[in-house]
Amino acid sequence: MASPSSHRGQQHCCFNDWMNLQEHDLSELLQAQTVEENGGDKEVQLRRLVDKNVEHFQAYAQERTRLARDHVSPFFAPSWCSSLESSLLWLAGCRPSLFIRLIYALSGLEIESQIKEFLEGLRSSDLSDLSLSARQFSMVNELQGRTIKEEEKLSEEMACLQEKIADQPIAVIAKETTRVLGQSFETNEQADEALDDHSRSMVSILEAADKLRINTLKALVSILSPVQALDFLIAGKKLHICIHQWGNKRDQKHG
Amino acid sequence: MAGMCCGVNMVGGETETAKPVEPPSSQSARRRRMEIHQQFRFVASDVAVAPPLENGRKRQKVEVVVPLPPRKSSKLAPGSNEDEENKYFAVNGCGCVVSSSSSDRTPKFGMTSVCGRRRDMEDTVAIHPCFSKADSENHSNLHFFGVYDGHGCSHVAMRCKDRMHEIVKEEVETARDSSSWKETMKRSFSRMDREITDWSNAAADVSTSPCRCELRTPQCDAVGSTAVVAVVTPDKIIISNCGDSRAVLCRNGSAIPLSVDHKPDRPDELERIQEAGGRVIYWDGARVLGVLAMSRAIGDNYLKPYVISDPEVTIIDRTNEDDCLILATDGLWDVVSNDTACGVARICLQSRKPASPVRSPGRSCDATENASAGESSDKACADASILLTKLALARHSTDNVSVVVVDLRRNL
Repeated sequence: MASPSSHRGQQHCCFNDWMNLQEHDLSELLQAQTVEENGGDKEVQLRRLVDKNVEHFQAYAQERTRLARDHVSPFFAPSWCSSLESSLLWLAGCRPSLFIRLIYALSGLEIESQIKEFLEGLRSSDLSDLSLSARQFSMVNELQGRTIKEEEKLSEEMACLQEKIADQPIAVIAKETTRVLGQSFETNEQADEALDDHSRSMVSILEAADKLRINTLKALVSILSPVQALDFLIAGKKLHICIHQWGNKRDQKHG
Repeated sequence: MAGMCCGVNMVGGETETAKPVEPPSSQSARRRRMEIHQQFRFVASDVAVAPPLENGRKRQKVEVVVPLPPRKSSKLAPGSNEDEENKYFAVNGCGCVVSSSSSDRTPKFGMTSVCGRRRDMEDTVAIHPCFSKADSENHSNLHFFGVYDGHGCSHVAMRCKDRMHEIVKEEVETARDSSSWKETMKRSFSRMDREITDWSNAAADVSTSPCRCELRTPQCDAVGSTAVVAVVTPDKIIISNCGDSRAVLCRNGSAIPLSVDHKPDRPDELERIQEAGGRVIYWDGARVLGVLAMSRAIGDNYLKPYVISDPEVTIIDRTNEDDCLILATDGLWDVVSNDTACGVARICLQSRKPASPVRSPGRSCDATENASAGESSDKACADASILLTKLALARHSTDNVSVVVVDLRRNL
């Protein structure tokens, strides 16, 4: 078995690779946004690109689950994230409901100006299809409902798991552990076993949370048109990368 | 409604007026306390007709009940049309609902109700076309539209959705002649409020609790709801309002508010509250006892008698210049003015030709789904409600948003 430090090294690498890949993907997405092509081909191409991005996210999740099986807790308190990012973490990642908020923010940007044109009589296309179509709007809402419900369920699970630390068996093992004066408490087999058990539960929560993130993302891009999905992915990646970099800068500034 | 706020106890010097209410709570704590029912109900053009009422009412927050359009089919025995007409179907999650071919009887409307930027859904909407035939002289139907914005939890709003129209129906049908609309509606609201009180008193039986807040706090008096109810008759609109949801009439392009929000700092409301011995404290806006950001509501027992359930009733004659009626929760009105809302709704209605007088009954759902211009004014109302909702979200409304648009145009 590898040493803990090399575990963390691998985990850190996994994250860095992911951020680099996102930078790369972002460039590709931005480029695709500017390409002027005729309708049908572009749609197919964009859809493929969107799918590829989702697959990248999925691959990242799989990789970290694999790493988490060896040592899970760093993913919940990552040393590779800025304190800003860490403060935003929900079960080792972003809240899936964030995706929906981002959609609202993006569609909101369009509507205001378009409404003005409507009121001035400058527009007359299908009114309900502004920004998101009525159907998309309904589906996004449905997805939001489901997602928040799932989020709450996992939050509840995490709460239970965290509370369990203060209960049988870990609290009792801790209570009964003795030490020689001036030395730290030693771990014993019992404690290791209990903590391993705890870790396994953490891994399954991590897996479930990642699954929810991926499923929400997948559901969302399937609701959106390829062009919309592209905009959404670009905005999402920019947000992630910005928060990462801004957070690092702020940490440096405050020492 | 984000009306509930943290503890009155935190406001220095005002503690003596405070009854034990909610502990100071952050929004996230509130979230945890609250059951997330269905996050939203949305009324879109992709209508699916749900199973009949008794199956369809489990926990749906919005229930649109529409009379089955009378069939043209000659297979029906003479007279059976009447039964058909009385048979109700619940159409869940869709609002651009179905109009019958007898367009003079069933109003056109659209409805959208979404969770928006909140994590819990506390708005409910109830729409019951032809809910009563009290006006028997004219053989005309009365139509019911209600929008409820819950606070503290959703169960009072849910209860209003389930019961208000039934109560109003009873009151309307038993109290005719001498009784005015005003009295009828006041009685209805008072009965609704009493039912909530009785219900929460009896809610000791946890097993029947409809929502989680009761499981967690034995005392669930700190829950309430706004109610804005429109009864539409062939020649009148009767608006009864309690709280800060709002009804606005769009007439010849201009907005006529048919209700005045019950805010604690409204001068007459402030006076009433103070006369009753209550206080209005500015704590993130004006709040009764520093807690509730509206001065009237259904429920909210712990704030009685300062917060009352007495509605203000507005009766207005319909005219040929009426475009539509908009009922909505403050999720819309906080960020969209009456004028803008009317402008948007009016243009949506105008952009679609009114429904043609003869439509093939029973397939209106399909029709709206594939609607091209001119197919259905229900679609127009749905468009309007969706667009207004989207505008509210675009303007960063942080609340649930529910919008009902009723087409009032005549002789279509």
